[in-house]
Parts: sequence; C-alpha cells; structure tokens
Amino acid sequence: TAGNRIFHFGHCRVSMSMTEIRLGFTAIKANIQARDPVRTVSILSHPHSLHKFKSSDRCCIAHHLFNFYVDKVFKHCKTEDSYINRKISSIANSFLSMKRKLRQCHEQNKCMCGEESTEKFKQILANYDGLNVTSAAMKSLGELDILLDWME
Amino acid sequence: EDALLPAPQNISILSINMKHFLSWSPVIIQGETVRYSVEFQGEYERDYVNESWIPICECSLTTATVCNITEDISATVAYNLRVRADIGTRRSEWGTLKGFFNRITTSLTPPLMKVIADGYHLLVELEDMGPAFQFCVFYWKKGQESRVQQKVVKEASSVVHLDTMEAGPDYCVKAQTYVEAINRSSSFSQTQCVRAQGGTSMCL
Repeated sequence: TAGNRIFHFGHCRVSMSMTEIRLGFTAIKANIQARDPVRTVSILSHPHSLHKFKSSDRCCIAHHLFNFYVDKVFKHCKTEDSYINRKISSIANSFLSMKRKLRQCHEQNKCMCGEESTEKFKQILANYDGLNVTSAAMKSLGELDILLDWME
Repeated sequence: EDALLPAPQNISILSINMKHFLSWSPVIIQGETVRYSVEFQGEYERDYVNESWIPICECSLTTATVCNITEDISATVAYNLRVRADIGTRRSEWGTLKGFFNRITTSLTPPLMKVIADGYHLLVELEDMGPAFQFCVFYWKKGQESRVQQKVVKEASSVVHLDTMEAGPDYCVKAQTYVEAINRSSSFSQTQCVRAQGGTSMCL
C-alpha cells in the first residue's frame, strides 16, 4: 500500500511514507552490502541495538539518525553504477523530506534526548569514525533496514 | 570549429496521477540526427552534494523529445531538470527547466469506476492506478444523500463489495483517489447508480 503512516516518537507525531524508501533500498541492498568488506562490525547495532534506546528518547534518536544519514552517509555513497546512484538519490531526498518533518518536533521541544541515549548515539558516531569514510558510509547505507525496521 | 548546437528549448513537465514526463522542442539540424540527454538534481544533491546532477540513463543519447522521469522523482522535494543535445562530437549547452518541479503539484484525475449490481450486492470496480493510490468510495441510497457511507480502498486489484442492497431503491456511488505521499485527493468521479436485481440507471 502507499505506506504513509503516522509515526509516534514520544510526543512527536509525524506522517511519513516509508514505502518508497523501502522499495528503493530493497532494490540496491544486495549490491550495497556486497561492497561492505568489514562484516564483523556494525555502525548502528554495536554495542547497543537501537531497540535498547528508551522510548521517551525515540524522537531524539530518530532526529539524530536522519541528520546522520543526510549529513554524513549518503554523500559518500556514490558508485560507478548509475542505477544505484539514482536509487540512493531517491532515498536521500526522501530522508531530507522526513528530516524536515522531524525538525518541527525538535523545534517544539518534543524531541528531548536523555543522557543515556546521547551516549549511545555518540557510540554510533564513534563506530562510523572508526572506519574510513567510504567504508563507513557504505556500511551505514547497508544497515538502513535496521533503522527502517526500528522505526516501523 | 563546429558551430555550437543550440540548447533544447520549451522544456516542460507533464505530471498526471504521479506519472511525470519531461518534454522539450526538437533541435532541428538539416540532415542530422540529434540526440538528447537528461539529468536531474534533487534538493539533496543541491544542498548536500555540491549541486551535483544525476543522469537518467534511459534518456541518455535518445532521439526522443520526451523522458519518463517518474522513477527518479520519488521524493516530495523540489527537483531541477535539464536536457542537452548531441550530434556526434558536437554538444549543446544544457537547457534547464524553468523553476523547480515538486510532485506535490501533479494533476490528480478522478478514478475510472464501474458500479455493479450483482443480485443484491453492490460492488465497485476501480482502475488500478499504481501503488501510490488509494481510493475513497462514497455510497448512499438515492434520496438519502445525508446518510452517505464511505469505504477506503487501499488497493484496486479486485472488485470491492460495498453493501447489500434492498430491493427497490437506487444505490449511488462516487469515488476519488487519495495519494498519501503528497497528502492530496482527486475530484470525484461521476456518480453512478444501480438497483438491486440488475436494474441500472445512469445518474448525470
């Protein structure tokens, strides 16, 4: 179905369409994950699964993660394959659209982050910075379904 | 040195029911076959990737003067689009669409609809318009316009059962599409009325 849903991140309610992102990611997932040589490390799930974050911090984590993907990940995922690049563009522009919606909650102070979650998000950034930028970006993109599953 | 090819002109978008087409006027060079290439740039590319452009390979070095860009316009953000012409090694400047294109401006037409009285069952068949579309179907007993019922149809793949009719009165149906990705609806289809036992009358 069209897949636009109301997402509840604590006090923040945001209408988002995940279907197109899912379709775009599914189309390139195998290709992207095949480019990730370092299978023993995870960006999003090490050492804490996203599901371990407190629900009251969901909005803040989602806000941080959208910014993370838009600011740090997608731009470093250019490939030699035009089809892959077009799908990444599609996902990136959809993320940009959603990031804007989440920012509204952030501006209305519905997106507060607890200390624990802030530390956990720093761990994600540390995981990312622990690899060279292209590997880290490709790995993060390959883990997008972890974020999508957590959101849904 | 070869004269520079003129850039394609009259670049425009035709967007109906979330299908988006870029078109332009042909560049006419006597005795030559002109080919065209199309590129797009989303808001992300503009703001985060140094205003980079992405080629649409289905519309690279094509002789057509229209390009289906639906697959690439897959976010509700502002897109830039451009086209250039090629003849062998000769190449034009880019012709760029005036203004941005955002799919939120697509034209939504009422759905094709067929209302069926199958004995006492009120059924409706809706046109399959693609995964982005849902349908709001309204139905009521003729003369009881204040008691309209509504059914949301998420997928138009099969006939939809609306109600079980009483013998005698006409039952009327109208529908509109709804696109969640842009949060917009079409206008209503024409109302169609049927009667149980296969009696059909068309409402104007």
